[in-house]
Amino acid sequence: MSAIAKTTVPTRPWAVDLADVAKTYKGRIHALRGVSMKVAMGEIFGLLGPNGAGKSTLVKILMTVISPSRAKGSVLGHPVGHKPTLARVGYLPEHHRFPDYLTGGQVLEFYAGLCGVGRAERKKRRGELLELVGMARWGDTRVKSYSKGMRQRIGIAQALMNDPDLVVLDEPTDGVDPVGRRDIRNILLEVKRRGKAVFLNSHLLSELEMVCDRVAILVQGAVASQGTIGELTEGRERYEIELEGERAPFDVLREIAPELVSAGKLAGGEAIEHTPTMLRVATGDAARVQGLVDLFRGRGVVIRALRPVRPSLEDLFMQAVTDPTTGHVLDPGAAENSKNGGAGGRGGAAARGGAA
Amino acid sequence: MTQTIALLVDAYRELNAKKLFWITLILSGFIVAAFACVGLDAQGRKILWWSFPIPMFNTGTISLDLFYKFVFVNFGAALWLAWAAMILAVVSTASIIPDFVSGGAVELSLSKPIGRLRLFLTKYVTGLLFVMLQVGVVSLASFMVIGLRGGAWEPRLFLAIPIVVGVFSYLYCISALVGLLTRSTVAALLLTLLFWIFLFILNSADAATLAIKTDMAGRLTAQEKRLVRQQAEVERREHWAADQLNEKARSEAKEKGEPEPSPSAWTPEQLDSADPTLPNVRGERGRLEKQIEESTDNIKQLKRWNDGFVIAKTIFPKTTETTGLLERVLVSDSDLEKLAKAFGGEERRGRRDPDRPDSDLEMERAMRDRSVGWIVGTSLGFEALVLLATCWIFCRRDF
Repeated sequence: MSAIAKTTVPTRPWAVDLADVAKTYKGRIHALRGVSMKVAMGEIFGLLGPNGAGKSTLVKILMTVISPSRAKGSVLGHPVGHKPTLARVGYLPEHHRFPDYLTGGQVLEFYAGLCGVGRAERKKRRGELLELVGMARWGDTRVKSYSKGMRQRIGIAQALMNDPDLVVLDEPTDGVDPVGRRDIRNILLEVKRRGKAVFLNSHLLSELEMVCDRVAILVQGAVASQGTIGELTEGRERYEIELEGERAPFDVLREIAPELVSAGKLAGGEAIEHTPTMLRVATGDAARVQGLVDLFRGRGVVIRALRPVRPSLEDLFMQAVTDPTTGHVLDPGAAENSKNGGAGGRGGAAARGGAA
Repeated sequence: MTQTIALLVDAYRELNAKKLFWITLILSGFIVAAFACVGLDAQGRKILWWSFPIPMFNTGTISLDLFYKFVFVNFGAALWLAWAAMILAVVSTASIIPDFVSGGAVELSLSKPIGRLRLFLTKYVTGLLFVMLQVGVVSLASFMVIGLRGGAWEPRLFLAIPIVVGVFSYLYCISALVGLLTRSTVAALLLTLLFWIFLFILNSADAATLAIKTDMAGRLTAQEKRLVRQQAEVERREHWAADQLNEKARSEAKEKGEPEPSPSAWTPEQLDSADPTLPNVRGERGRLEKQIEESTDNIKQLKRWNDGFVIAKTIFPKTTETTGLLERVLVSDSDLEKLAKAFGGEERRGRRDPDRPDSDLEMERAMRDRSVGWIVGTSLGFEALVLLATCWIFCRRDF
């Protein structure tokens, strides 16, 4: 799998344009190994990866919380690390902790003040955003009495207080109930509609799948794959066939077409896989499976279901984090230095993906 | 400016939320109230309406405003503000930096368009603000008490604010450094208190050696005075013995019909035979000379020790001496003597040894001889170095 096979290049300007971002801790822990990625204005970009893949490190580098070992590129047209640019960026860190002595409304005003937002504007946006995140009733209550979900909602509002052009959210739906998640999704879509860019870092693949225009999968400090979900799943669509009866579909196929079973693929070259309950044909083209359907029907085998299946983000994710040589899921965490450098023997997907 | 105001408003809110801040302020209120309740009249000390006669301690020996200044300096500032309230302040502010740099909190601040140095220094000032407000309130209230009760409006009283805040800042820089390195409030608090104890021990060692040295010097002065007197006594007695011997020689010559001999030099033995007490008087002189020699040696040795402690103290902040600057400002040298007299210094001296100077007063003078530049300059230098290291770590650290 190539990192970005046929990437759709947005015509809008880049909100984030990173090239060769690397971070090494104590000279041996390679948290990031030459990451390159681009996020366009007006799009929601999802960053996913297993624990310790370097997602938060990358986000912290964008937000100047961590200094990179090396980095090229820009954020909103300015070099990475340019402090004044952060006035146009909204950020919600993972496991954020607001001062306990502040109320929700004061949190919004304080961090907006740090962004240089004027008093009148702060007051105005405070009311609007508390309303937007459904916290209007709780704005004057101290955050120490908030639930996790409420803190998350205030966090989202805090990230939007400076009316940012780029919103960077690290696990924004962590601890939020389904209603809250839907609300957050709607907020993100609204931000996108207004032409802003959203950089989303999350473990919740289904959440990302619902809102992201493009995603990047980070594994052991390197981009394993990157692109729109359509691009990443291209060539991976398949058809699933379920047959009526007690016998396994694969056994039935072996009986009626042993040559296909021995070849492991259809005449057109489409691979055939199987599970105890179904057959899978690796194609997204319905015409390619018609011959197989005819074969079954010609032998009187009743087809219970025939459906096209597109791989989910989870499938892509699992593929990215699985070592193709061993079939095992890669160890979590960053790559450590070894004599041959790089990923120290773990580097399946990371090595495959490389820098985008 | 918007960012600075936001940080200061946040600092106020943080202090406002600390219970210890209000507890300290209330306790300060009680201290000032107690301060206002005590007074001095012609008979002695006065508490509210009741008078407690003290012969040497009344408005006849010291003025009312000096009494209030003395009480403010020694109890209000040195005891309450520089010790008890300081401990409460160290405890209250120990969490400021660890909380600020804790995971999940520091990212929010660092991701804003504000420089790390400015961010950290503003947060540092938040801690100082705690003490600044406390001392400000106490100073203002004490200013009113001294003005209304003592009849002296003393604006120099407000020097307590920079002095006590300065002393606190010597400790707070350690708290900030440890808090930043460990992100632990407990570690910041414990190590700050340990550092303070270390400073206290160092200062006590300096004060103790200086006190003994001053006492020794007083004793040496007394011994030297006694030696001069003893020498005069020896000479007087030798002269008397020589007169006796001359008289005797003249009498003998007269009896023998010889011409009157001219006065000659007599050996000590001859003099001793004329005055049998002379050996004892000479012995006493020798003993005094030996004592002086021993005292001189002891003073030299103590000076070496004291110089060592002073050199060690040069590197570190001087909390006690910095607090003592307030006394220097508010209580003049002549006031100091008045106070010494009022507290019975002369009486004590007379009872003990009239030749010895008041060692407490001498000690106080020796402390006052230490320059403000050395006390404040080197202390702030230490703080600046620690703060520089802390800022450097904060600015370069990955969070």
